[in-house]
Amino acid sequence: MKTWFPEAFEEFRVVSIYDLLVEYIQSGRIKLDKSRFAGHKVTLHEPCNYFRKSAAAFGQDYSSEYRYIVKNCFEEADIVEMYPNGLNNHCCGAGGGAWAMPYSQERIAYGKDKADQIKETGADIVVAPCHNCRDQIMKSLSKEFDMGNCKETLYLWELVAQALIIEPWSEEEVKRSHALRDAQYERDGVELESEEF
Amino acid sequence: MQNETIRLSQETKSRLELTPEMASRCYTCATCSSGCPASGLVPGWDARKAIRAVSLGLDQEVVDSKWPWVCTLCGRCQYACPQGIQILKTFRGLRSLRERDQVPGPLHKGTMMNLERGNNLGIPRDDFLILLAELSVELMEDDEEKPCPGFYVPVDKENANVIVTINSKEPFSEPDDLKFWWQIFYAAKEDWTVSSTNWEGVNWGLFTGDDASMKEQVHRVLENARRLKAKTILYPE
Repeated sequence: MKTWFPEAFEEFRVVSIYDLLVEYIQSGRIKLDKSRFAGHKVTLHEPCNYFRKSAAAFGQDYSSEYRYIVKNCFEEADIVEMYPNGLNNHCCGAGGGAWAMPYSQERIAYGKDKADQIKETGADIVVAPCHNCRDQIMKSLSKEFDMGNCKETLYLWELVAQALIIEPWSEEEVKRSHALRDAQYERDGVELESEEF
Repeated sequence: MQNETIRLSQETKSRLELTPEMASRCYTCATCSSGCPASGLVPGWDARKAIRAVSLGLDQEVVDSKWPWVCTLCGRCQYACPQGIQILKTFRGLRSLRERDQVPGPLHKGTMMNLERGNNLGIPRDDFLILLAELSVELMEDDEEKPCPGFYVPVDKENANVIVTINSKEPFSEPDDLKFWWQIFYAAKEDWTVSSTNWEGVNWGLFTGDDASMKEQVHRVLENARRLKAKTILYPE
């Protein structure tokens, strides 16, 4: 976007998921419950796109935002860093489209480094804030290699959703929302078989 | 690679416009390949060799190899390179030089599908809208653990604060995973929307080295935001 449509940054506010989650937490728009993960240890995978590549392309990576978000879901003592981490962290092995490519043997061999890194931490949860990384670690590496204690691979937004305290909307809010919804479904010709009101 | 002596002449000039002069700064220290998890995966190739080949004008040999595709373009080599060589850009450039029908796997097909039908997996608009409506009830309003009464997916809503894209694999095969962001938006009472068309958030042109398609995909995100007068664009995950 920066290369091809620089004007977009004048027209719109453009934010990453890290910026948005930090904003929600800081402003109190969402509330998180750390006790949800009591007794668990977590480690952080850093996807290439929002870290090394973002740093190279935009001069900014999201290391501190990432940790800020996780610290709002976990006690600090339960966060274990990988080695190496930050801008030197290893790729999961499925980057650059490798998850969808036919070279699966190479992709798995590549991921051995990542599996070892995760195992070393002793964590039982690994956060993968990227679709490709999460699929590689959860669906492939965890089956191919011994990842030690690690049992769960969660998207960053999945982690946040799990710790999220959800207060159901008031009747008034629900009513207003349903009216908007019905108008939209009517406009778009969306018909549900068993609608609940 | 080859047994003949390489004659450095006009004919061996690199086809990559941006990088050969950068590649020629390489003093073969191997910082790139020694920190690269892909070293040893493709017989005969690693990051350093590929850069040397480019600087010698032997691009085609790298283009024909699977090296640029087994490399995940993670950029660790470039981050570490003491000469500041644009290694990542070079390797992506090598992907661009591959004939389009020789791009491995479904990436190029998905890119073309996206251009034609608005998402990488070709999900039709009506199916998409019905799915979102059904999931709004199943996953959100009727969720036992964390019910979210009043939730629905605001599609094509004008003047919303945030416009988002969607990774097509989720509506296609992992619809339950859409719930995480929906719960967050619900709790935050965000005024958000998604477009009913061209909502794809994954840009495979990035991976296939296809700049024109990549640009078109970015353009669509912008056009949706303009049409719906959204204030904020949320970058895809």
